[in-house]
Amino acid sequence: MEGSKIMKIYEIPEQENMRPGHLACPGCGAALAMRYVLKALGDKTIISLPACCWSVIDGPFPYSSLRVPLFHCAFETAASTAAGVRAGLDVKGKEEVHVLAWAGDGGTFDIGIQALSGAAERNENIIYVCYDNEAYMNTGIQRSSATPFGAWTTTTPVKHYKNRPKKDIVAIMAAHRIPYVATTTVGFPNDLIRKMIKAKDIKGTKFIHIYAPCPTGWKCKPDDTIKISKLVVETAVFPLYEIEDGEKYTLNFMPKIKKPVSEYLKMQGRFRHLTEKEIEIIQKDVDFYWKKLLEKCNK
Amino acid sequence: MCKGMSKICNNNGGGEMRKVITGNHAVSYGALLSRVEVIAAYPITPQTQIVELLSEFCAEGILRAKFVKVESEHSAMATCIGASAVGARAFTATSAQGLALMHELLHWAAGGRFPIVLANVNRAMAPGWSIWTDQNDSLSQRDTGWMQIYCESNQEVLDSVIQGYRIAEKVYIPLMLILDAFVLSHTSEIVDIPSQEEVDRYLPPFKPKFKLDPDDPHAFGGLLGPDHYMEIRYLLQKDMERALEVAKKADREFYEIFGRSYGIIEPYKCENAEIIMVTSGTITSTARTVIDKLREKGKKVGLLKIRMFRPFPSIDVKNVLLKAKKVLVIDRNISYGIGGIFFQEIKSVLYNEDKHLPIFGFIAGLGGRDVTPQILEEMIEYVEVHNKPEEPILWRGVKL
Amino acid sequence: MPISLSDTLYNKTGSWRTFRPVHRNKLPPCNKACPTGENIQEYIYLVLEKKYEEAYKEIKKDNPIPSITGRVCPHPCEVKCNRGKFDEPIAIHHIERFLGDFGLELKDEWNIKEKRERIAIIGSGPAGLACAYHLRKKGYKVKIFEAENQIGGMLRIGIPDYRLPKNILDKEIRKLEEMGIEMETGVRINYPPDLLKEYDSIFVATGAHISRKMGVTGEDLNGVISGLEFLKNLNLGGKVKIGKKVAVIGGGNTAIDAARCAMRLGAEVKILYRRSRNEMPAIESEVEEAEKEGVKIEFLTAPVRIIGENHRVSRLECIRMELGEPDESGRRRPIPIKGSEFILSFDTIISAIGEKVDLHPFKNIETTSWGVKIDEFGRTSQEKIFAGGDCVTGPSTVVKALEAGKRAAITIDCFLRGKPLPDFKKEESVSFENINLDYFEKERRIEPLKIDLQRRKKTFEEVWNSYKVETLIKEAKRCFSCGVCNKCDNCWVFCPDISIIRNKEYSVNYDYCKGCGICARECPRYVITMEEER
Repeated sequence: MEGSKIMKIYEIPEQENMRPGHLACPGCGAALAMRYVLKALGDKTIISLPACCWSVIDGPFPYSSLRVPLFHCAFETAASTAAGVRAGLDVKGKEEVHVLAWAGDGGTFDIGIQALSGAAERNENIIYVCYDNEAYMNTGIQRSSATPFGAWTTTTPVKHYKNRPKKDIVAIMAAHRIPYVATTTVGFPNDLIRKMIKAKDIKGTKFIHIYAPCPTGWKCKPDDTIKISKLVVETAVFPLYEIEDGEKYTLNFMPKIKKPVSEYLKMQGRFRHLTEKEIEIIQKDVDFYWKKLLEKCNK
Repeated sequence: MCKGMSKICNNNGGGEMRKVITGNHAVSYGALLSRVEVIAAYPITPQTQIVELLSEFCAEGILRAKFVKVESEHSAMATCIGASAVGARAFTATSAQGLALMHELLHWAAGGRFPIVLANVNRAMAPGWSIWTDQNDSLSQRDTGWMQIYCESNQEVLDSVIQGYRIAEKVYIPLMLILDAFVLSHTSEIVDIPSQEEVDRYLPPFKPKFKLDPDDPHAFGGLLGPDHYMEIRYLLQKDMERALEVAKKADREFYEIFGRSYGIIEPYKCENAEIIMVTSGTITSTARTVIDKLREKGKKVGLLKIRMFRPFPSIDVKNVLLKAKKVLVIDRNISYGIGGIFFQEIKSVLYNEDKHLPIFGFIAGLGGRDVTPQILEEMIEYVEVHNKPEEPILWRGVKL
Repeated sequence: MPISLSDTLYNKTGSWRTFRPVHRNKLPPCNKACPTGENIQEYIYLVLEKKYEEAYKEIKKDNPIPSITGRVCPHPCEVKCNRGKFDEPIAIHHIERFLGDFGLELKDEWNIKEKRERIAIIGSGPAGLACAYHLRKKGYKVKIFEAENQIGGMLRIGIPDYRLPKNILDKEIRKLEEMGIEMETGVRINYPPDLLKEYDSIFVATGAHISRKMGVTGEDLNGVISGLEFLKNLNLGGKVKIGKKVAVIGGGNTAIDAARCAMRLGAEVKILYRRSRNEMPAIESEVEEAEKEGVKIEFLTAPVRIIGENHRVSRLECIRMELGEPDESGRRRPIPIKGSEFILSFDTIISAIGEKVDLHPFKNIETTSWGVKIDEFGRTSQEKIFAGGDCVTGPSTVVKALEAGKRAAITIDCFLRGKPLPDFKKEESVSFENINLDYFEKERRIEPLKIDLQRRKKTFEEVWNSYKVETLIKEAKRCFSCGVCNKCDNCWVFCPDISIIRNKEYSVNYDYCKGCGICARECPRYVITMEEER
């Protein structure tokens, strides 16, 4: 039974296209992300799902937790498999079925970037969602090019923490001049749903970057997920914005007071080793790119 | 733009057409007539003309297909798999490096039971860039679960595309049809191009048992534990075995409509042959002339062409070879560390028989080196004078 | 190709848990702070749903006279309101007044199942009215005996019109009469146990009406009047003569009310209080109002003697005080500063330094030094006789009297029906730290408007207006709804395992809940707590 219309804080569609019993860790941001995305897209959706946490979360053969057809594909082929599904559907006249490529950060930023770039350059009519938990979580928390500067992972232990910044996948995708690129996160369900609904009505390649906290890999508490995903936006570490046609930038959330990054970092064990100086470096970096973004958004 | 295309446009299913075309274009016509629905391919010499002609067909509206101009062969196969998964007839073509890049997904296509047809132009593997003919590229993929057909002529190439879909869609196993680089791909031969109406009679539309469908949602290819994996693979092998009969039947039915038949193997003048030469690809057509010449001289020699390499036609091969006294196998390939691949397969097929046949394994023509009639005659001579091979690998034509 | 055959519902991931979330409504601090236990959170929620009649009925479960408390209560609920620690407390007082007034216009429907027992109530102040009301609801035959000529006790005598218009009081009393409560005025009961011949139980609620004497010379001069007497004459008769320069001695609500009335009658008024502002027992907003209206207050000042001329008050000798150690009330003791005497001119002195209980009717009933002695259930030392209100505690608030009346009614009912006595203890309430502030933005408290200051100074018109509906709703929206689920859906929205069940009450699907705790964390109001899995 729907909640109270007056008291509701978030307005999300009622239909569930996902069932419980899936194998996500308690507090998984990626599970929530899928739940919201499928609410927005509806059940006339086919998912191309490469190797990532979700290829295990969905459940082992012969079970599946999703109420939509789902194709497990090779790690680097999320976008190219999706392109094939789209071509097959179009040739059969089923243009109203949505094709969703659902990949993690590894399968998007690293091994999958070629296929993604190819599909984007051809402006394939697919929705590509990268749910970003900032490392190769499924295989045991190894670093990816989406891992932020300063983070611990199993392949960037504390003495050799990740010393390169997070790859700016949004800029890369915008450079392809696809019709729609957007960032969003699970702590802002209204924003996420709105962007998915907007994306599904656009023809061409749509790239949505969802920030999905991982308590297991980030060494935070399972109930921190929503709080962290709000903080990451309020500290401008992961701003919420949209880019249309590679040019038009729109900022979706302006924090009333921009909180210091230390508030965000101290919630996560993977940053526990950082010194004051290192946190300052991170803060400077965040401020620099935030200013640039504001300029692009004409704020 | 090839001449005579207007004839196809205007011919709404009437009569055949005879043209002089290259092997590559024969593939294109085969794909066109098979009404492929999704093409995803990446250019690589010597395959480029296949996709060029197909993209013209699509642009002119002659072929109603989606041509996805992917950014690598790996993506090409992924796209074909995605398309096939929703029930579209998918096609791709590649060669050497491209096929190797697809390797991971060749496993996927076969394990996923997607009846995709891939035209591979046999080309030597780098390093040392070589664009000339060599069988290592396709044979490196022999364990992936794909069916493989080796063609000898451009006509066979065109016909095998059509037969290929018929067989693949019956057993749900993808099929690789192979033609030699340059010798077939870029060489023009006379080819009878069948009419669309005839092909439509032979090849019905693709209606798969399982497909991705929002009205009946399932997850395809999820986590498969030790309790289930083996059965899925067992079923693939069983269908491979079934494919031999299916291929034979498809070939017979092809003959009924088109008047041409190839078999899965072709014995040539093997009746009462004491020495049988086993070949594949274009070496076969050279060998035919050599066998004719030696037969005129009174030698009891015969030729066995292996057309379908996967599944391997063990029983048919045995039935032909066991009648001879000696067998020689010519490989335009090598599995490093053991020797020619056709040679290994034929030895293993004949091993448990009561009759012991000496089998000679020759390797020739790697990297496109010409395999001349002289080389073939010398091979026969060698076999005549030796009771068994002196070496496990008999190299011919090496200049060291 | 391995193709899935069914869903993951077979996999009861609930077995992964070590802690489980539990939806359980908890006590909001406002509900706890209200002496008579009003379900404040609930009626605010009903207001938001625009169900004003239901909201009114909710108040009436615990409080018979919301139009009155909504005007005169010192609102301890607002003091404890968690929103007050965030920005400003919810204006519960004004919301209650709106609903009380709304309900005044309605006809109350009572489905009373008559019982045969009869209960006598002595005193028609808030304690007596409340006890009568709660007993009448249960079906008992109730009669109130009031010594004065009009019903209401302190409500009528002690509270001026600008705080509580008489027509409102009369309307509330009429509603009680319509319930079937008998009321007789002009009857003074000198010995309560006499009534036991006709009645099965008696509730004594005679209040505290005897003004304390200042104990200074000149107290008997013309022009010296007690605050209570002054207010009583004003409220019952209407015509009172006072001078032009009025001193009011005292710091309680009576003193403030007297001062503000005197001002409205045209006098220049000064309040003298022996302690400082912090120790004043009067309602803070009333003190501020008085000052706005032009009443002056001199703190740390006490009267020494009243100097008269022609048997009339003309001057007052005062002395400055300083604060020493706390006395038995917990407040710092005022100590006169030697040699700091000074003279002020007044023609009227109103003494409002507190009231005492008239203990004469209570022969054979145990009393304390300040009033009737009762136990936690309202029972006196005499069987079948109960007591409550100011006659027990000394001067206190209306709402505490309501609580005493309600408690006694419950006890009397248990006694008459042979039921065991209930536990009147209240559980822990939700604290401010339990609220998840991520879901709230700071907003100003919206109060209704007051009438123009100039009108206030000249008339006895009611100072506060009522809410308009739009502002009422806006203010009600600020309520955190501490500890009580208001169906905001947050738990359902944020569950990664789709394990929140939304029926009339929300609960958890324990077959699949993995115990991540996100629902508990993101519940803005502490409805969900994590408990150890046993």
